Amino acid sequence: MRTSYLRGLTVLGLLLMLAALYMIFVYVPTEATMGAVQRIFYFHVPLAWLAFMAFFIVFICSVVYLVMRNPKWDLVASSSAEIGVIFTSLFLISGSLWAKPIWGVWWIWEPRLTAALVLWIIYIAYLLVRSYVQNKEQGARLAAVVGIAGFVDVPVVALAVALWRTDHPSPVIFEGGLAPSMLYTLLVCITAFSVLFLVLLLLKLANKDIESEIKQIYKQLI
Amino acid sequence: MDNLGFLFAVFGIAWLVLFFYVLVLIRGQDRLRKEVTKLNAIMKEKGTDKPAH
Amino acid sequence: MAFWRKVLAITRKDIISEFRAREIIGLVLVFVLLVILIFNFAFGAANEVISKTAPGMLWVTFAFAGVLSLNRAFIMEKEEGCLEGLMVAPISRDIIYAGKMLSCLVFLLVVEVIALPIFAFLFNLNVFSGEILVITLLSTVGFVACGTLFSALAVKTRARELVLPVLFLPIVIPVIICAVKATGLAMEGKSWTDITNWLLIIGSFDLIFLVISFWVFSFIIEE
Repeated sequence: MRTSYLRGLTVLGLLLMLAALYMIFVYVPTEATMGAVQRIFYFHVPLAWLAFMAFFIVFICSVVYLVMRNPKWDLVASSSAEIGVIFTSLFLISGSLWAKPIWGVWWIWEPRLTAALVLWIIYIAYLLVRSYVQNKEQGARLAAVVGIAGFVDVPVVALAVALWRTDHPSPVIFEGGLAPSMLYTLLVCITAFSVLFLVLLLLKLANKDIESEIKQIYKQLI
Repeated sequence: MDNLGFLFAVFGIAWLVLFFYVLVLIRGQDRLRKEVTKLNAIMKEKGTDKPAH
Repeated sequence: MAFWRKVLAITRKDIISEFRAREIIGLVLVFVLLVILIFNFAFGAANEVISKTAPGMLWVTFAFAGVLSLNRAFIMEKEEGCLEGLMVAPISRDIIYAGKMLSCLVFLLVVEVIALPIFAFLFNLNVFSGEILVITLLSTVGFVACGTLFSALAVKTRARELVLPVLFLPIVIPVIICAVKATGLAMEGKSWTDITNWLLIIGSFDLIFLVISFWVFSFIIEE
């Protein structure tokens, strides 16, 4: 059943991505102040938004796992974390590549960026902790704790940096209203990336399922 | 036009990373499926060879 | 109440064993001195530089000292087999957490109370205001609240002494940010009203992580 879901979603995702690419490169007009580079925005924002969703999923699954101890929740949590880390890396890189031509620097210590960096580090640690533990079930429990602590911490980091920042004013991230065409493009991109995220998650979960099947078989053999 | 190099870099990197990730996942799945069929075959053999406990 | 009696029993045990062995506090103090020395050479001793970097130096020093002391909270227990002893005792897991947390708090506060005058002496800075003491107290509670949690977690992994800082330091970043900022303001002689914002953030961090750690600790400790 899952395979047909997966196939359908993949096709949908590909179509949405094509639509998104068309809108990014053909439909949307060039932004006045930043020029063509601004189109990075249409990848950068969905990646960031989905990374955050991914870590929110990790948080919820970690809590449920600790309460119910059903390993399926832990599988979803670790898969979501892995994809979240990839998306976070991508949006950090895209942010830097956008910042360099616009602001002239690769990085600024601004609340959202700093919180994103901390988030990235915490979830890499989340993935590493699992590999450092002998017992798989224990690893899952410990990782769940990291997932919970990390998610709760990030807003506090953002708040602290925001307050810290009021002493060091800097170029504001592209705020301001969005023209309707830009809004539509953004929405299509977010949808495309959401489907992509789901496809990746389902693929990863399918892999994990087969892995646990193999483990069962090994147990029976021995 | 201005700074198109950066634009290309972002989209290029994003595509490459995501494409390779999907590739890794699909390759992994193939490998795992092969292992499952192999193990199932072994299980069947063992099932016929081993005397009942 | 029975809860606090048991908690304090654990704290007392830790403090007494530390007094007898004198393992941590002495070494951590020497470490603090060395870190201050290295910072001094790294940043140069010009007065303007010192006054700008002093809060940062102070808190980096305390963060590293914190990691060292926290390693002791559970890692040495595990090696001596005391952890199993604690687990077998008929007490609930949060009592273990509270007891350990308080003893770590005491250790870290002792280190800081000794380090602050050393700092003041070497850099000719006024670090003894009431503001700085409150900032230090609040921040240390924050460090220890989540540090104890992650120390227990690190003990279950293979690369124990490395896992603790890798987990602990990113999470504790808000405390460091606010502590450095508030300490800087206090050193400049600003009044309480200026630093309340920062203290509020540190305070909420403390509260959030005390609550989370209390809840989550039993999941880590069980076998």
